[in-house]
Amino acid sequence: MSAVAVEGVWKYYGDYPALRDISLEAAEGTCLALIGRNGAGKTTLLRAIAGFSTAQRGKIRICGKEPREAETRSRLGFIGHGISVYDELSALENLTLFGKLYGLADPKKSANEWLERTGLERVRNGLVREFSRGMRQRLAVARAFLHEPSVMLLDEPFTALDDRAIAVLQRLLREALAAGKTIVMSTHQLKEALELASHVALLNRGQLAFHGARTQEMVDDPGYVYARYGEGA
Amino acid sequence: MLASLFDASVWTALIAAAVAALASILFLRTRHFLYDSLALSATETGLVLIAGGIVAGAISGHAGAGLWWTWDARVTTALVGFLLYAPYLMLRRAIEEPTRRAASAAVVSIFAIFDLPVIALAVNWWLARRAAPVSVDAGWMILPLALLGAGFTWIRLRQEQRRRARDAERRTAQEI
Amino acid sequence: MKYLRQVATIAVKDVRAELRTKEAINASLAFALMILLLFSYTFNPAQEMMREVSGGLLWIVFAFAGTLTLNRSFARELPNDCLDALIAAPIPGSALFLGKCFASFVLVLAVELVSLPVFGIFYNVHWTAQLPALFGVLLLGTWALTVIGTIFSALTVNIKLREVMLPMLTYPILMPALMAAMRLTTLLVTGQPIADDDMAWLKMLIGFDVIFTAVSLALVETVLVG
Repeated sequence: MSAVAVEGVWKYYGDYPALRDISLEAAEGTCLALIGRNGAGKTTLLRAIAGFSTAQRGKIRICGKEPREAETRSRLGFIGHGISVYDELSALENLTLFGKLYGLADPKKSANEWLERTGLERVRNGLVREFSRGMRQRLAVARAFLHEPSVMLLDEPFTALDDRAIAVLQRLLREALAAGKTIVMSTHQLKEALELASHVALLNRGQLAFHGARTQEMVDDPGYVYARYGEGA
Repeated sequence: MLASLFDASVWTALIAAAVAALASILFLRTRHFLYDSLALSATETGLVLIAGGIVAGAISGHAGAGLWWTWDARVTTALVGFLLYAPYLMLRRAIEEPTRRAASAAVVSIFAIFDLPVIALAVNWWLARRAAPVSVDAGWMILPLALLGAGFTWIRLRQEQRRRARDAERRTAQEI
Repeated sequence: MKYLRQVATIAVKDVRAELRTKEAINASLAFALMILLLFSYTFNPAQEMMREVSGGLLWIVFAFAGTLTLNRSFARELPNDCLDALIAAPIPGSALFLGKCFASFVLVLAVELVSLPVFGIFYNVHWTAQLPALFGVLLLGTWALTVIGTIFSALTVNIKLREVMLPMLTYPILMPALMAAMRLTTLLVTGQPIADDDMAWLKMLIGFDVIFTAVSLALVETVLVG
């Protein structure tokens, strides 16, 4: 049973198919890089896997269960385009809140731990609206990892991160992979993503143009997959 | 005659509201857009009928009492009913994405149908102190009006289906 | 138990966030006081008319000022995409909904409890004669306003013209509850007890609360996830 299984998924906006017959899998402990042009359907697919929207046709299973089930949601970590933390609360209050929502045994302790792991312990009582951009993004990462999810879904996580935040995220993702977690990550930043990825999937206008293991050619030349399998091939 | 026209239009509009609510529930269950189009068509038909009925009721009241608005319990209920369903159309116009629009509209339709009996009760308690209670007999006019309503709904439904087919073609064309 | 804790976590978060910024509550309070002031210009407080209109006036104030708070209920989740995080969390949609209902309920009630004494002062009405019953009606009416306002706040959170659509959807649906609350409040604020004739209005208000809380809970997942 794979960590993430997508079978024959079609997603329509009204009568327009944004995703067409997508089937892919991510085994436990692997990192799948989802690449494609803007509008190819990467965000749509990720959000469908995360359970934010329902696919009209096909099945999506996370560790064998449906995305919206409570058990699945407990082990899912999601980073979208926004940081998903509250400006008017402090860093500690934000993480404690999510700790409680995820039913952690000691929300405050976990919150403090993750503030340290993302280098935010000195601003734990500062309100998020006063944070710099890099600090906000590190807090977003802390929020996503807080409940130790076994499957992480990241939508263009490296976009607009500063160097420190990129380093923190890469370190955490590497640690997660080493611990056997699964990552599905959509990205434009091919270099950072392909370093971490074990598998690659290319989306082209809602269809899966390529799905397979990451090869050395891809790491050497990030544009390789686009050239070989994308439009203009 | 206008009074019975009013009665008939109220009953026909009620049938339209029930059809819309049923179609909304079926849409939420099956996610088939036919039901969404049906809910829209039925609601529009109902609104047109009730608006006509309110005008008929007002004219009828004027003929009787010399006032343009007699605060008759049933005409007032009809007006509140109109105000209840008009936002349904406004909401549809405010949401562009078709699935989201259909689901949101369906929710509003379900809320509205639950509210209709409560509104009828409330307005009647409020106004029955002023005007004498009137009969609720629909009269013979309900048959032609119901047929008219069904016809409107059917025409509108076909129109919606054609529009959806055109939209789908347009999107496909944009991809190529 | 876990469910109640989840509801409480959401409710506490909303109230805390609102008290930090005070955006909605300040606007709501200012709006309420302004309406009360404006209307006192038209009604001469000494007149007997107050016995007839006080409930209506109060609930117009409560409903309109309350909408400012209710609009914020789900709208506060939009900056930074916080709504995504709440939907992704393993709490039932109904817990999220109820948590927000309770938070809004508390905030709207606070504005109402400030408005009442101001009303008494401006209009020279001795409103404390039937206090327990009055609070009962206040709680029931405010819950009706809150439930409908919160579910439609969730429904309209992502659409254009949200500030217009929320009142347009809420007020017609709320009409029977408002009528009942107005009638009962008029009686109680002017010191009269609820007579047998008017008991039906109380039952209607309670029935409204029960029916629409149930309908909202049944449809909340559809509203949140689509």
